[in-house]
Amino acid sequence: MKTATRNTDTDLSRLLNRLTRGDNIDECLTCGICNSRCTWFDGPGGPIPRQIVRMAVLGLEDALVSSNMLWDCLVCNRCTQECPMGITMDLVVTRARGMAAADGQIPEDIKKGIKTRLELGDVNGLTKEEFVETVEWMSEEFSDEMEDPEALIPHDQAGCKFLYLPNPRELGINLMHLTAMAKLFYAMKETWTLSSHHTDVTNWGYFVGKDDVAKEMARMVVEPAEALGIETLVLSECGHGYHVLKCRVARLLGREPKFNVVSIPELCLSYAQKGILRFDPDVHPYEIAYHDPCNVARKSGGYDPPRQLLDMCCHGVKELVPNREDGVCCGGGGGILQDSTTTQKRMITGKPKADQMRATGLKHLATACLSCHRQLGELSTHFELGMKVDTVAALASESLVL
Amino acid sequence: MTPSFDNVLVLGGGVAGMAAARTLGDRNITVHLVEAADQLGGHAASWACMATDVCRHCGACLARDMAHQTALHPKISIHLNTTLDTLEKIGQGFDIRLTSGETIPAARIILATGFSPFAPDPSLLPGLHFTEHDKVITTTQLNQMLKDETLTDFLGTATPPEIAFIQCVGSRNRRLERDFCSQVCCKISLRHTRKLLHILPDAAITLFHLDLQTIGKETRCLAADLSLMIEMAQGIPAEILEDQDTGRLRLVTEDPGTRSRIARSFDLVVLSVGMSPSPELEKMASRLGITPNHWGFFNTKDASLADGIYAAGCAAGPKDILGSKQEGCIAAAKVLEDMGHKPEKQTDVLVWGDGAQAVTIARTLAKKGHRTICFNRNIPDTKAASGQEITFTDPGKILSVDGVAGHFTIRHETDGTKKTVTCKTIIAAPEPEFTTPAGQGTFSKAIDIDAFSRIPVDQLSDTSVILLDYTGPEYKAASRLALTSAMAAQNTGRQVTVVMHKMLVHGALGQQLYDQARKAGVKFLRVNTPGDIQIQPTKTGFSVTLDEATLPGIPITLLCSTLAIGVSPLPGPDFENTAGLLKQRLDREGFLQSANIRHRLTQSPRRGIYFAGTCHDEVDDTDLAAELNDIMAGIDFTGPVRDFGVEVNQKKCVQCLTCLRICPHNAIVLNEKSRPEIVAEACFGCHLCVANCPALAIASEQFSTDQVAALAGKGQVAVLACQRSAALAAGPLDLPGHIRLISVPCACRINQNLVLKTLLNGADKVIVTGCHEENCQSMDGTATAAAEVDRLLAIPGITPDKVSWHSVAANETRTFARILSDAKIS
Repeated sequence: MKTATRNTDTDLSRLLNRLTRGDNIDECLTCGICNSRCTWFDGPGGPIPRQIVRMAVLGLEDALVSSNMLWDCLVCNRCTQECPMGITMDLVVTRARGMAAADGQIPEDIKKGIKTRLELGDVNGLTKEEFVETVEWMSEEFSDEMEDPEALIPHDQAGCKFLYLPNPRELGINLMHLTAMAKLFYAMKETWTLSSHHTDVTNWGYFVGKDDVAKEMARMVVEPAEALGIETLVLSECGHGYHVLKCRVARLLGREPKFNVVSIPELCLSYAQKGILRFDPDVHPYEIAYHDPCNVARKSGGYDPPRQLLDMCCHGVKELVPNREDGVCCGGGGGILQDSTTTQKRMITGKPKADQMRATGLKHLATACLSCHRQLGELSTHFELGMKVDTVAALASESLVL
Repeated sequence: MTPSFDNVLVLGGGVAGMAAARTLGDRNITVHLVEAADQLGGHAASWACMATDVCRHCGACLARDMAHQTALHPKISIHLNTTLDTLEKIGQGFDIRLTSGETIPAARIILATGFSPFAPDPSLLPGLHFTEHDKVITTTQLNQMLKDETLTDFLGTATPPEIAFIQCVGSRNRRLERDFCSQVCCKISLRHTRKLLHILPDAAITLFHLDLQTIGKETRCLAADLSLMIEMAQGIPAEILEDQDTGRLRLVTEDPGTRSRIARSFDLVVLSVGMSPSPELEKMASRLGITPNHWGFFNTKDASLADGIYAAGCAAGPKDILGSKQEGCIAAAKVLEDMGHKPEKQTDVLVWGDGAQAVTIARTLAKKGHRTICFNRNIPDTKAASGQEITFTDPGKILSVDGVAGHFTIRHETDGTKKTVTCKTIIAAPEPEFTTPAGQGTFSKAIDIDAFSRIPVDQLSDTSVILLDYTGPEYKAASRLALTSAMAAQNTGRQVTVVMHKMLVHGALGQQLYDQARKAGVKFLRVNTPGDIQIQPTKTGFSVTLDEATLPGIPITLLCSTLAIGVSPLPGPDFENTAGLLKQRLDREGFLQSANIRHRLTQSPRRGIYFAGTCHDEVDDTDLAAELNDIMAGIDFTGPVRDFGVEVNQKKCVQCLTCLRICPHNAIVLNEKSRPEIVAEACFGCHLCVANCPALAIASEQFSTDQVAALAGKGQVAVLACQRSAALAAGPLDLPGHIRLISVPCACRINQNLVLKTLLNGADKVIVTGCHEENCQSMDGTATAAAEVDRLLAIPGITPDKVSWHSVAANETRTFARILSDAKIS
């Protein structure tokens, strides 16, 4: 019989037990509440949260690494929500992923993405030259579209009020999205810019649990932004990017950045509340369902702004059940979406979400994260839900009254 | 002007409040018992009877019985639908205004406002969707359905129903700032489960628990039985989903077999909710100038009571019915003492037991001023403190125990010399046998957990493993010792692993202690059965390999220098002999004292004889102290002697001594003339002697056969009902004219003669009703009555339609009504 020997003096247990109350895995009560809360409701496989914690508590790192649970976990923290001891699962799982022993488990796509992101500042490998060329071309198109020579998509302009940090998809396969965002800034009548030094809101260092990587990625965002002297960093709709830059950046860098951080839906909402942005709800004359991205909602507390904005752009927001603190992951969280080998698996992890979507009886769904957006769209197709999935900011842009 | 302060105010008319009020009233203190509801009894009185074929010892029926007795008490003035309005401290007492407008002076206040069941508020526990699914109910709701007999209708067509219980809802949860064990929920769910199986024998029941708190003799036995009848699953689901196709409830749990999670469907999910302080307590606290702890109770040192105010029952912290009753009596005794009431007479107490607990008991009593003799074969080398009268005697062989409360005579023989000891009270505390495999075979180098806890910290080895409940059932003293000693070792840099089936977290601070131990780094490993553990001695200690219950399929090896093993108490070698000499019964496991709640926690059916310590139940130091306070409250402040109007007519007596032999309370003794005499101080008034005297020589003032048989009119249904159960259940009913309820002191009063005479007098039929088996105050009254009915049914012409027997507890009004409505006149 092959047995694992209990070892409390492991890197992982040292890391985890050094943490303060709430993150001390030793406090696990073995109540099993986490097991019942995991998003993987259906089908075999999937992580068993309590086993992850117990293996970590007992220093059974080999067993933990070979269990495949680390990268099956969607890091959605749904289990954490009800943990009587406040053990935060995303921390446990990402720390465990970050162990050298678990390096072999990191999906190839994620490894590659991290490498290019660190080398080029963009996870998709967009070079600075390509970025400048793309943005300048789009700026001209935008001017034409708006029939206003002042309507621009500026880049690398110092002293602006806002710096917009896009999602890599906006500069690759979904250029229209960037134009849509530009329209929002245009309507705000504030100075804004992009930066060719950092073009990517994502931080896959969080997925792999490597603080040095996450820190370097955060630094690559924060320092050039500070150099431009901007007031506020506006994040594209990206769940984990938002969570890292909003909730973790100070811990990673050891200091607060010298600017505010908001997401584009939050910014739009505040300008709408000031009466500067106006939306026509009849552009989307239908009720729409809203999906809480775990990283924005449960992990960062951003429950209401996307709903409020959405409510201005459509005919009412319908809740998925359950939602908010209790919401279910889209099935693409924790880096699984970024791994191109997981398409089939994501249709299992996304089944509970698809069931929720179907139960709304609606044809439209919005969310505030481009990863969720992609996963939800695929679920709609796979499960033949016939639902059109949009992001909140994109709908806002469409509804904009200029 | 200083008001006359000889009154006591008791806030709350539940079990604790009533127990306190009666103890005080019995000592001639005027008591104002103030109850916010429209009747006495508190939550216990609303609880359903948990009896199946036998009593399950929940004690809920006691609340009805106590309410009845309290209402009749001449010294207790009851204020219903009333609470405290204002209060002014005057000198040593209080000037109190009630919401009814009445003003009363009181020397002392006892706070017994009880609890309210934890509400699984969706804002706190959204995953349970408590308000969304009608088939998700709390134990309180299940209780109501059992009481109203509506459960089967509620379940509808689901046959056989699949039912899940989820434990620890609102307990043992630091996130909810409820890091305490509610003490009663596991017991409640076990009894509910047993009751459900009685009503729905085909039901498939799964009990999801965290660590099933099988504490107490009745609970341990029940859990052992149920483990063969239901599934007990460790791990508590926190989310209830609905199957959209079938509408059934789904719980996601870990499936050790497939090493994945599975969704399981149920027809009903019962949330076993914990206890919160009553809203009444919150309101009262500011008016009384007292501060509860952050849980809202008064069970920890950070809660503060004011001078002259005492807390009892669940206001003081979660506890069960018998515990509340005990605490009410103790609070009342404390009040009496503080008011300067002294025991009327010095009591000679015999403490009977060889172990350390007996010594503690003897010392505690001596310290309180009782002349104490301790029969102890291991006489401790100590002197009593000045002013204490305490004698340790090796009794040798104890030959007999005769007499009644106040006049016991114990004969014993030491070194061939026969001696006699007399005493007023006996406290039985013989030493149980503590078993552990430590020191034997594979475990020759292991030590028991007591020895482990005594190792000075500087001599502890670096790595230790504690096998907690390896040899026997979980035992709470061992759990506590494992937690404290492991934490002490861990805090001095040692590594301790506790291997357990479950952790018992009894008492106010049990859960916090367990939380602290884990935080300190003590590792706790779970096993399903001791068979999952393999132990090998090594050169330097032990290698322990086990299948950890939360990590199926990953055997874990622990290497340690020190192996400590828990100890389990087993019935001691003296128990049988002690029980025989004291004419007392052993419980199912062989410990002293039956599980009968009429006498527990510490009394016996024989007045003046008490049990204390591990000889009769799982008792730790805190419990033992409470037991002794309870016993001392009983012996210091006994109530008035009741005259039951039963007497031996010496002219008719043929001295067959049947009465002496059968009296369940040993209340009949031979007087100086060698004739049987009923001793009022010891009599419980059951009338078994009256019913069974072959010479009809025992007269009863109120319940002679002729008197009782004449009560039912022609054509009526005569319902002979035990005063302590069925007659109380009938209380709230409006009986139709054809029913004649005849209250008798105990079902054992009936005999064939009485029933036949009743029929001959013209009654249409006779229904005999009494307590559930094992609930009778006189122990066998139920069995006796049922057997008499069986014998009657053997008589040609007597059909079940004419004479029948039914068990009805005091809180089974609905059941009683059903029995009566079934009884049509022929």
